[in-house]
Amino acid sequence: MEIKEIKELANRIMFDVNEEEAQNIINDFETFEKQLAILNEIDTDGVEEMIYPFDTPTSFLRKDEVSHVIDKEDALKNASKTKEGHIVVPKVVK
Amino acid sequence: MSIDSLMNQDIKTRCNEAYEKVVAYQDKLNATITAIDPKDIDYDKLEGKLKGIPVALKDNVSTKGIKTTAASRILDNYYPVYDATIVEKLRKEGAVFVAKASMDELAMGGSNLTSMIGPCHNPYDLNRISGGSSGGSAVLVASGAVSVAIGSDTGDSVRKPAGYCGVVGVKPTYGRISRYGIIPYASSLDHVGYFTRNIKDASLVLEVLAGRDDHDMTSSFEKVDEYSKLLNSNVEGKKILVFDNVVENIREDIIINSFNNVIKGLEEKGAVIKHVRFDDKLMKALFPTYFIIANAEATANHSNLDGIRFGHRVDGNTMEEIMINTRTRGFSSFIKQRFVVGSYSLFEENQERLLKKAQRVRRLIVDEVMKELKDADCLIAPASGNVAPLIKGNKSDELAPEYLIAENHLVIGNFGGLPSLTQPMGFKDNLPFGVNITCNPFKEADMFNIALAIEEITGLKDLVKEDF
Amino acid sequence: MNYDVVIGIEIHLELKTKTKMFSGAPYAFKSEANTCVNEIDLAFPGTLPCVNMEAVKKALEACMALHLDIDPLVKFDRKNYYYSDLPKGYQITQQFHPIGRNGYIDINVEGKTKRIRINRIHMEEDTAKQFHLFDETLIDFNRADVPLIELVSEPDMSSGLEASLYVEKLRQTLLYLDVSDVRMEEGSMRCDVNISIKPEGSDVFGTKVEIKNLNSINNIKLAIDYEANRQKEALEKGETIYQETRRFDEKTGITVSMRKKEGAVDYKYFPEPNIFPILLSDEMLNEVRNNMPELPDQKHDRYIKEYGLSDAEASTLIQNKEMSLYYDEMMKKAKNAKSALNLLMSELQGLLVKNNQNITNTKVQSESLAILSNMIEDKEISGKQAKDVLEAMLDGSDPRKIVKDRGMKQVSDEGAILSIVNAVLDENPNSIADYKGGKDRAMGFLVGQVMKKSKGQANPQMASKLVKQELDKR
Repeated sequence: MEIKEIKELANRIMFDVNEEEAQNIINDFETFEKQLAILNEIDTDGVEEMIYPFDTPTSFLRKDEVSHVIDKEDALKNASKTKEGHIVVPKVVK
Repeated sequence: MSIDSLMNQDIKTRCNEAYEKVVAYQDKLNATITAIDPKDIDYDKLEGKLKGIPVALKDNVSTKGIKTTAASRILDNYYPVYDATIVEKLRKEGAVFVAKASMDELAMGGSNLTSMIGPCHNPYDLNRISGGSSGGSAVLVASGAVSVAIGSDTGDSVRKPAGYCGVVGVKPTYGRISRYGIIPYASSLDHVGYFTRNIKDASLVLEVLAGRDDHDMTSSFEKVDEYSKLLNSNVEGKKILVFDNVVENIREDIIINSFNNVIKGLEEKGAVIKHVRFDDKLMKALFPTYFIIANAEATANHSNLDGIRFGHRVDGNTMEEIMINTRTRGFSSFIKQRFVVGSYSLFEENQERLLKKAQRVRRLIVDEVMKELKDADCLIAPASGNVAPLIKGNKSDELAPEYLIAENHLVIGNFGGLPSLTQPMGFKDNLPFGVNITCNPFKEADMFNIALAIEEITGLKDLVKEDF
Repeated sequence: MNYDVVIGIEIHLELKTKTKMFSGAPYAFKSEANTCVNEIDLAFPGTLPCVNMEAVKKALEACMALHLDIDPLVKFDRKNYYYSDLPKGYQITQQFHPIGRNGYIDINVEGKTKRIRINRIHMEEDTAKQFHLFDETLIDFNRADVPLIELVSEPDMSSGLEASLYVEKLRQTLLYLDVSDVRMEEGSMRCDVNISIKPEGSDVFGTKVEIKNLNSINNIKLAIDYEANRQKEALEKGETIYQETRRFDEKTGITVSMRKKEGAVDYKYFPEPNIFPILLSDEMLNEVRNNMPELPDQKHDRYIKEYGLSDAEASTLIQNKEMSLYYDEMMKKAKNAKSALNLLMSELQGLLVKNNQNITNTKVQSESLAILSNMIEDKEISGKQAKDVLEAMLDGSDPRKIVKDRGMKQVSDEGAILSIVNAVLDENPNSIADYKGGKDRAMGFLVGQVMKKSKGQANPQMASKLVKQELDKR
């Protein structure tokens, strides 16, 4: 892998990495490949992925009743830029 | 300083003392991100099982109106507008919060070296790590500031530092304790856990924390027992599985000897000892399996940290720039590295050979262990192959079997959601090391009983290191 | 060269629930910004999704009404991308296991029935709303986490007409199910069209173009017709058709390119770890099935079979959901289906329009209207009297009370009417003479006089009969 590629990967998840970080990531990927080799020694044919610790489904569904709303002030108090009760960002162009 | 002995002390006194220690110890231990002064607590109104007991919360636990950072700069100005469910439960039983404890950034670490406030120090030796990611919580209990501290455990983040700090670290069954309000790491591996100084306290605290929460769709409906009342050290006929893969890879004689002592003691108390060895290839795969799944889930979980609605926003000319600038400044290099690798496993073209492969191996690992464990009462092994490493130590070879198995076996408890507990086992050069037991799902009562028996065998309980 | 037009439609529907898909915050359209939210909708750290039972039930209803196979194991997935209107940085949806698959709806295209297949229906959450000012965008999170279902059709439609009929039929069905407000102008129903063309009879599909932001059924038809033509012309000229997203410009009636699709976006779909699969019980599925409101087609057939309404009458009635529900209520008490219908659709509806009211806000209870209909049937009052009574009923008054208070009860006693008839005849010898002289109009006049003398209460048919009877005697 190359530094440029790594920087693109980082951008895809919305951050920048500098040269040093990118190089560390390249090293990480090398280690990663070695770890992957260990995984690949294990035969997983016909084995279902384990997504959750337990396979038992739940039957619970929430009743459709208003149970919790926060006031506008609380909703916005952690935002760094608000205007007329809205959160503000630079104009989003589709 | 067990909960019992604390209950004998005047509430106001013990809460103030706890707070003062939290503040006083900060300089040397660096275990706290936000100290919470209990001065406004109406002590007379407190009621419950933890009435007036000072408690520390790992800083990934949402506390309404109190800064919650998960030790990451991206949240260094974040004040939750809601409480985590466990915070409500603790408060309802009278607990008094005195600290938001330090941790590895976003809980992604095993050393507590990656916190935005810097390394957390082990009270037994300030040059050594506390372990992580719940290092701050472990240290606040070990140093005597508090008797109860809440942490979280995704790969071993409560049970490893417990061993390094000479305290009890509990990770119950998945879904036993609600995760609502806990800033996540990897959702399918995250558990809320906690530290105490003895097994009796551990059993009481679970009564308070456990229980169904409708907010959490993975929360269990299993009945919560009165663990502290059921507690006894009778292990007659209990089947104890000795985890040979781990034991065989430990070099420290003192740890092996202590461990053998514990096994002998259990046998003398009537337990039935069986040695088990699991498939070597599967054991070697513990860390890679964890790493792929955890990093992938973490990357997706933290996509909400974008500076738009909360968090330390860094400005930009476009919405995308704001997100990128915020996350670039807000995440440490370490986290960024983990996320890049994590996201790689999520790409559609990579999922089959990376994420799904790891998820399949996860199943094989759990199946392998359950083959034995389902007919037994617990799996036992030293919590770690050594005492706490030096902060400025050498990085061990990541692929040596020593590294992979002896230091990573605890993750089995996360893969299978199994209840697991670490408690003090002995000392090497005045540095504590621990033993870990892992049990069948929802068998916490049995787990505490076996742990109590071990506590009697080792005689190690209520350990405190205040003279650091 | 002739071309086949291949059209598929994706519809996003806001479900009519009290709370959000994954949180207990309320949702009310047009509420003040950021007042219908809680920490879950805003994706504050540590929050977890909690699935809305009613949303699942409404999704099930839609699946059942549209004949989809239902997967009773409800599973959710994450669709990952970064955008300011997507708080979590991922949308919780059902990529791999939609709640329903392989359904259909039949439409009537110029007299012929055509079946449009529905590939899938799945549940997901809505995004926040963004308002674009000059150089800023304001975000309102009220809409974030609102329950949606997405309905994806197979590319079975081949014209703007078929597409508009499909959407209209779906809209009507979903409206009757009461699962959504289905208002395209308000955004509770959003349609995206995928259209491509290929040489007639060819197996090879052409390049797909997506048309978004269509805000009315008519615009769907216009947009498709324009686009199909644009693509045909392009092909004839040897131009490339790009895989892109276009929008329809209402004013000019053309589609305009919004953005080119640069290959597929990787959404990194993976199963949602915070929601265990949910197993729906047979009990719940049966409960939903048994409590489903009657669908327009079912009503239509029932009106014809049970009430003897004509096809035209039934079709007209079901065009208005509230009207047909009102009629159903009436029919619980009304004896004559056709006269009840007439009273509702002609008389009451006429009065409502005149008074600027409608069937949803009228004070006239369906039961009262049924009673009025029966009173006419039983000849307690005449049709003409009924008109007056109805007008008095607009304030919610009971018809029986009105008739009683006004002493309007129709007199059908022969003896009583007979004496009035004779009195009238005695008073109008000229009219008798006119009638005898062949002027039939005179009888009408005499009957009118009888009605007048009885203050409108005489049974008109009986009055007529007796006037003739007595005239013939004299």
